[in-house]
Amino acid sequence: MQTLRPFFEWCDGTTTGQVIRDSRFLFPIIETLHLLALTVLLGSVLVLNLRLLGAGLRTQPMPLVARSLDPLTFRSLLVMLTTGSLLFCSEALKCFDSPPFLIKMVTLFLAIVFHWTVFRPTVNSPAEAARPRRIATAMVSMILWFGVAVAGRAIGLY
Amino acid sequence: MSIPDLCQWLQDTPWGVGIRESTWLFPIIEGTHTIGIALSVGVLLIVDLRLAGFLMRHEPVSRVSGQLMPWSLAGFSIMFITGALLFLSQAMKAYGSIFFRIKLALLVLAAVNALVFELRLRRSIVTWDTAEHPPFRVRMAGVAGIVLWAGVIAAGRTMAYNF
Repeated sequence: MQTLRPFFEWCDGTTTGQVIRDSRFLFPIIETLHLLALTVLLGSVLVLNLRLLGAGLRTQPMPLVARSLDPLTFRSLLVMLTTGSLLFCSEALKCFDSPPFLIKMVTLFLAIVFHWTVFRPTVNSPAEAARPRRIATAMVSMILWFGVAVAGRAIGLY
Repeated sequence: MSIPDLCQWLQDTPWGVGIRESTWLFPIIEGTHTIGIALSVGVLLIVDLRLAGFLMRHEPVSRVSGQLMPWSLAGFSIMFITGALLFLSQAMKAYGSIFFRIKLALLVLAAVNALVFELRLRRSIVTWDTAEHPPFRVRMAGVAGIVLWAGVIAAGRTMAYNF
């Protein structure tokens, strides 16, 4: 971890980070946008998972549900990554010492990798996957994405 | 008993004191309240987007809402319970916060919007259930829902800052 310290210091020292840190309103505004994007991201992932579990939108073929929700997931993730990076720059050194931040970054990485390597192929396949596989995929997806949210909330507590 | 007296009494109740003074209870309830947004507003958003004609246009409105609203309502019950507990623990602070008042006003407007939809607009649902773009007033109810709930979230988050 210590080898990464210069990177955290550099982020903390960027003009962007300083401007956000020195402003009274920028951090709350960016944080609110981060939270609104979280609503869309988790909402769309949750609904797709309900479909995967057979607990919602059962009447629609899964790839069709996935195609409707994909743009919401993808765009809200972009907003989250952008606003998240800005928030990070404004308190990068604080994050360096924060266990929840480290957990959040690892979970986020796993969530994104899982989403694109396992989750999307499963929901997009024309032949519906077997029930155990659907349940396992939905469970892992929920644990990872909600894990990111819980760890994120915990950053503010340490 | 005036409203500030009531708020003072509420936060002096054993529950109010207990939540406020516990190291873990407040963050756990607050975290559940924050992340419960995904189930309540996040799922409602999908239904509102269908009403507004932005999403799943080929699926009847009644099917999207019938299958998703029970989940969203379960989410809202979590939100109301955790929200009431958080209020109980810091009722005076909430009473004095302009953002809490804005949040309450927006909640009332969101409730009115939902009631108008349920009691008036839904009556004619057979005529537009399968329409890709429901009538203007129905689409506006969907858009209003999205805007009002976004406002509730923003006001709620801002409450936590001391401006």
